[in-house]
Amino acid sequence: MSEKNEKRSFFSEMLYNNPVFGLYLGICSTLAISTSLNNALGMGVSVIFVLVLSNILVSMIARITPDEIHIPVYIVIIATLVTLVGMLLQAYTPSLYSTLGAYVDLIVVNCIILGRAEAFACKNGVAASAKDGLMMGLSYTFSLMAISLIRQILGTGILSLSNPFTNTELFALRLIPTGFEIPIFKSQTGAFLTFAVLAALVAAYKKSNDDKAAKAEKEAKAAKAAAAKAAAAKAKEANA
Amino acid sequence: MHFIYAILIAGALGAVNILLLRMNNATPVPEGCEDLTPDCSACGIRDCALREQYMSQKGERTE
Amino acid sequence: MSLSSLFTLLISGILINNVVLTKFLGMCPFMGVSTKLSSAVGMGVAVIFVIFGSSVLAWLLYYYVLDPLDIEYMELITFILLIAAFVQFVEMFIKKNSPALYKSLGIFLPLITTNCVVLFVAQDNITQGYNLIETIVNSIAVPAGFMLMLVIFATIRERLSGCDIPEAFKGNPIAFIVAGIMAVAFSAFAGLV
Repeated sequence: MSEKNEKRSFFSEMLYNNPVFGLYLGICSTLAISTSLNNALGMGVSVIFVLVLSNILVSMIARITPDEIHIPVYIVIIATLVTLVGMLLQAYTPSLYSTLGAYVDLIVVNCIILGRAEAFACKNGVAASAKDGLMMGLSYTFSLMAISLIRQILGTGILSLSNPFTNTELFALRLIPTGFEIPIFKSQTGAFLTFAVLAALVAAYKKSNDDKAAKAEKEAKAAKAAAAKAAAAKAKEANA
Repeated sequence: MHFIYAILIAGALGAVNILLLRMNNATPVPEGCEDLTPDCSACGIRDCALREQYMSQKGERTE
Repeated sequence: MSLSSLFTLLISGILINNVVLTKFLGMCPFMGVSTKLSSAVGMGVAVIFVIFGSSVLAWLLYYYVLDPLDIEYMELITFILLIAAFVQFVEMFIKKNSPALYKSLGIFLPLITTNCVVLFVAQDNITQGYNLIETIVNSIAVPAGFMLMLVIFATIRERLSGCDIPEAFKGNPIAFIVAGIMAVAFSAFAGLV
């Protein structure tokens, strides 16, 4: 029972704490990038890189930064890391960099990174912050991959992945026959609609989970009250 | 050699930023405006006046 | 750089390449602030002012400081620091000089610092190689388009709040569906110029 709880709680933690569908952070780049799996993975890895390093750096200097000026300091740290990531992408994966375009620099204002730095990294140690950054980055990447898979498969019919370093295609599967794909998913409207449906699914899952938890709690309370009543009745019987 | 300029410029801008932040925090909010809060249910990030409420909601979810 | 090309830039920034519907920027405040018309208008005006001021200053900073000193790689860091400083300055200025203005749009100013649109416009002016006049026009057109979206969205959402929406879609998901439909509607402007 506890194993099943643990396993479900990892999966449901990914959904509850999901920065994209649960908390609606960092939507700007999510919607723009998610046209193909390659872009999603590239952006996801960049965000993980920046998030983990920024969490580590912020947790190291949080104690010596005066509270008043912590915002510009965090912003400078994140901006430096994003400039670094941009240069690395430009050097080693130029095609990915040109596809991602201006959105690489917009990782700086991605609400996830500054939000985690403020909410978690400035209050916890280095290892915990790094792990939190990794978890958040991974769940961001998974959400990005979910949207991209749907948009790419329904929009172009082909599921493909290519090596960003050498720009060679690793595989390309045609999952929907030519002529049956739905081109609207390639456009902006498709991004909005996919995102809305996925967000509604996550909201429904959360609500049903919360309802189940509330119901279980109510039943547990009722059972406890009944047990207490039975124990009180027994005690009265024993007394009388 | 060039990175000295870079550090100087970044440092100057950072100092301007900190100075303006201090001056801004020292300026009192005009009377009648103390209890204004923007309606920001979706951003949930720093500087949002409803951030504590938002974060406590998030805290319930994670526990 | 004729008057007609500037006009094209204006129309393109507001309608054709609307920054919310075609580039997906400014989503965070878009979803959060567009539930009431009054807050939408306030946020929109604040964004126009901040983007205009900070983009022009960023352009000047790039071409008169970073480029001559050969440190263009500092673009991101200096721009974001400039934007943050400018927002602080504007908020302080409004606090001192106009309580009425502070009441209507001062509270949105801290939210604008990490708005994607501000940084995007500042960097786009450099990427597209605009001169100063084109920068000024672009920096007014793009946030005007953002404000247009905010206002339209706020009126639609005010209507939506009285409708019978499925539980899972309440709040943000239905807003995204509305945005998707608006994206289709605005894509009709693509052939305008």
